[in-house]
Amino acid sequence: MTDRPLIAFAGISKTYGNGTLALDDVSFAIRPGVIHAVCGENGAGKSTLMKILFGLEQPTSGSILLDGEAVAIPSPRIAAEKGIGMVHQHFSLVPSLSVSENIVLGQEPRRGAFLDRVAARRRVEELSRRYNLAVDPDATVRTLSVAAQQKVEILKALSRDVRVLILDEPTAVLTPPETDELFDRLRDMRAAGLTILFISHKLREVRALASHVTVLRAGKLAGDAPLAAIDDEAIARLVMGQAAGPALKRGGRVSGTPRVVVSGVHLKARDANDRLEGIDLTVHAGEILGVAGVDGSGQRGLVSLLTGRAQPTTGAITYEGKPTAGLGTAALRRLGLAHLPADRFQDGGSKRMTLVENAIAGAHRLAAFSTGPFLKRRAMETRTEEMIVHYKVRCPGPNAPLSALSGGNAQKLIAAREFATEPHFMIADQPTRGIDVAAAAFLHERLAELAAKGGAVLLITADLDELLTLSDRIVILYAGRIVARLENEPGLTPERLGPYMLGLESAA
Amino acid sequence: MIRSAFASFVITAVLLVLVVGIVLVPIALSLPDPLAVLDTFVFGPFRNPRHTGNIVEMATPAMMCGLAVAVMFRAGMFNLGVEGAFFLGGLATVATVLLVPLPAFAMAPVGILVGAVVGSSVCAVPGYLRARYEASELVSSLMLNFAALFIGLFVVNYFLRDPAAGAMVSFRIPAEAKLPKLIAGTRIHLGTLVALAACGLGAVYLFMSRAGFEARIVGSNPSFAAHLGLPIRSILLRSQVIGGLIAAGAGGIEMLGLYQRFSWQSLPGNGWTGVVVAILARDNPILLIPAALFLSYLQVGGDLIARNFDVPSEAVGLIQALVLVVVTAQAIMRNPRLIRLVTGKKPAAGQAQDTKAVEGSVA
Repeated sequence: MTDRPLIAFAGISKTYGNGTLALDDVSFAIRPGVIHAVCGENGAGKSTLMKILFGLEQPTSGSILLDGEAVAIPSPRIAAEKGIGMVHQHFSLVPSLSVSENIVLGQEPRRGAFLDRVAARRRVEELSRRYNLAVDPDATVRTLSVAAQQKVEILKALSRDVRVLILDEPTAVLTPPETDELFDRLRDMRAAGLTILFISHKLREVRALASHVTVLRAGKLAGDAPLAAIDDEAIARLVMGQAAGPALKRGGRVSGTPRVVVSGVHLKARDANDRLEGIDLTVHAGEILGVAGVDGSGQRGLVSLLTGRAQPTTGAITYEGKPTAGLGTAALRRLGLAHLPADRFQDGGSKRMTLVENAIAGAHRLAAFSTGPFLKRRAMETRTEEMIVHYKVRCPGPNAPLSALSGGNAQKLIAAREFATEPHFMIADQPTRGIDVAAAAFLHERLAELAAKGGAVLLITADLDELLTLSDRIVILYAGRIVARLENEPGLTPERLGPYMLGLESAA
Repeated sequence: MIRSAFASFVITAVLLVLVVGIVLVPIALSLPDPLAVLDTFVFGPFRNPRHTGNIVEMATPAMMCGLAVAVMFRAGMFNLGVEGAFFLGGLATVATVLLVPLPAFAMAPVGILVGAVVGSSVCAVPGYLRARYEASELVSSLMLNFAALFIGLFVVNYFLRDPAAGAMVSFRIPAEAKLPKLIAGTRIHLGTLVALAACGLGAVYLFMSRAGFEARIVGSNPSFAAHLGLPIRSILLRSQVIGGLIAAGAGGIEMLGLYQRFSWQSLPGNGWTGVVVAILARDNPILLIPAALFLSYLQVGGDLIARNFDVPSEAVGLIQALVLVVVTAQAIMRNPRLIRLVTGKKPAAGQAQDTKAVEGSVA
């Protein structure tokens, strides 16, 4: 290992066409053969910086030095030629093609005009052996698990003889055991001489994996240090730009009467992942009931039943003692339902509509926002401006389209809308997935506040830290059944939940 | 929002001018006096008040059909029944004023109202099939246009046909039913004011009313509408009934404004023009007005050179075809709904894959 940096960013700035300053004079260096973490909130500029390194974006000023020489990286193809590979947060695989076809796509071995399948297969097997990443080269990508698809993405990046591998939030989609396996593989790669750039906002993962951390905040370099020389609190301070708030305290909440009771519910669905087979659960007033489980264990089915988008095949759901059979979303919302959907841009809002329209939709028929058949645009705007201030939504203005917001800010606006109805029953489905620490903490406070005021909260999350921080009780779903019911006692750890989530143990 | 829509409107208009130039310049050069051809195309429509009037007359149904399309597109519905609705609306209006004894002052309003209601079925039926059975409104409305055409021709032939006239046309439309002319020397009629008012009301509906807001939510993201618990089916149906009423009303206005007899033997094409106008105007009711005027201007210029020079009428058709390509190509580039329609992909497809993937990991 030499001390000469492999990659150096020198005064990189990036201004977008609309005047947004995404990066502001960022300079730091990455030494070869290390795992280098880049941390920061959403919108801090991590992704932009990585896109610049990978040739997807061009810096407005500043330069990238590769082996001490200034290089221009106008496209991902050039980046690949220079030995830079990237695994995106959202995979770029073709679902209908096989693993080996996906990996060789763009640099196919040919026999005449045709794809040489044997050579492609051999190349994939060799890669898979070299990096100890087991995949079936003939499997169709569509049939693979998310973790396996990620392996394919990594192999695809590695197949271009890379020296630097960029991983953008690779653990967001993985369960704890899958994350551990990924980390082992990444350590192997480092040992084999690869340099890895690891983008994350989970401090625990950064600590476990990386040897050096760079923190970006609001487009500026906030800090850059070897991990040995900096403690978690200092990193958190750099990320958030202020002392992190005190950890949220559970307790002090008194759970009251049963508010939502699900008894003996079965749901037959076309998609096996949505099926439910005999669910019994009760959410009391004033409590947060956490639902854990690997994605696709029936969470979506449960949410569609509780939000009135589907009706149970058998079994019943009551809401404050009243049966909800036959009631649709509108009727349930009138009873006090609110819902933070898992896919915030798909279900939670309309990207092409303005913040005002997104914030008021649903409440637009209230007397506050309409007279007769007409909308009161002024009142809608004023209310939205209040929401923006109260929920600290960073945005260009109330009449900007929702698509102009980062994921975290969009989620805050959606939350502002859903909390505005003072709901009796809130379903928070992956409320902080992919959003920054500060926004997540803010939403956690809102959820806890709602429960403290007597609201019933159903929290569905893949983030076990979040689950353990917020929940009063925890149920674990596996394959459409509840396999464990746990009181969230101080000693409960993510490791204890793992076996239930993977269906290895059952306690219900 | 209107500013960005206006920007893309201007870009498209500039592209159109370029395209027209590419077709027209070589044709002009092949003639003895190329400058006169270009001059006639560009300035001819304004030299004679009658020709300028033609622009406005042509733009009138284009605005209303464009509005009908815009109202339905905004709700996410690619209902092409405007063409059939326009045709049937015109016919039902004429049939009403011919067959129903009405006092003179009531002829035009009652006729147009009946025409609008009858003609709107061409949009409403596909709308109902879509809301109730998820049948593609694009396909069923396209098909129903032809059903409307042949039912219409049947009615003309057996109930309205004037045996004294040499062709398959209706009896004369009574003079009392005609819409008053507004400007002497042109055929511009009261319908133009109705169309302008309709565009204004369309803007109010889409951007200032609760119903229009709900329609736009459904159109821009149906999943979001479902999340909010909006009654999606009735909103879809409502949008298409409104669209049908506007298009069919436009057909009635066209008949009473410009025609002596009902003389359409085939679908008149105003509905298709409406689709082009709506796309050009980015589904914005106010921008429909310049869009319709601009397209009509091109049409009148093309007609003038075809009439006055040795330019094949196909050249004018070619210009119109290229205009269509430019306008729709823009739409494909900017409009994810259209892309989805073209690729046949549903928005939920990505999600389904994810869940299948997870299924693998659990097993």
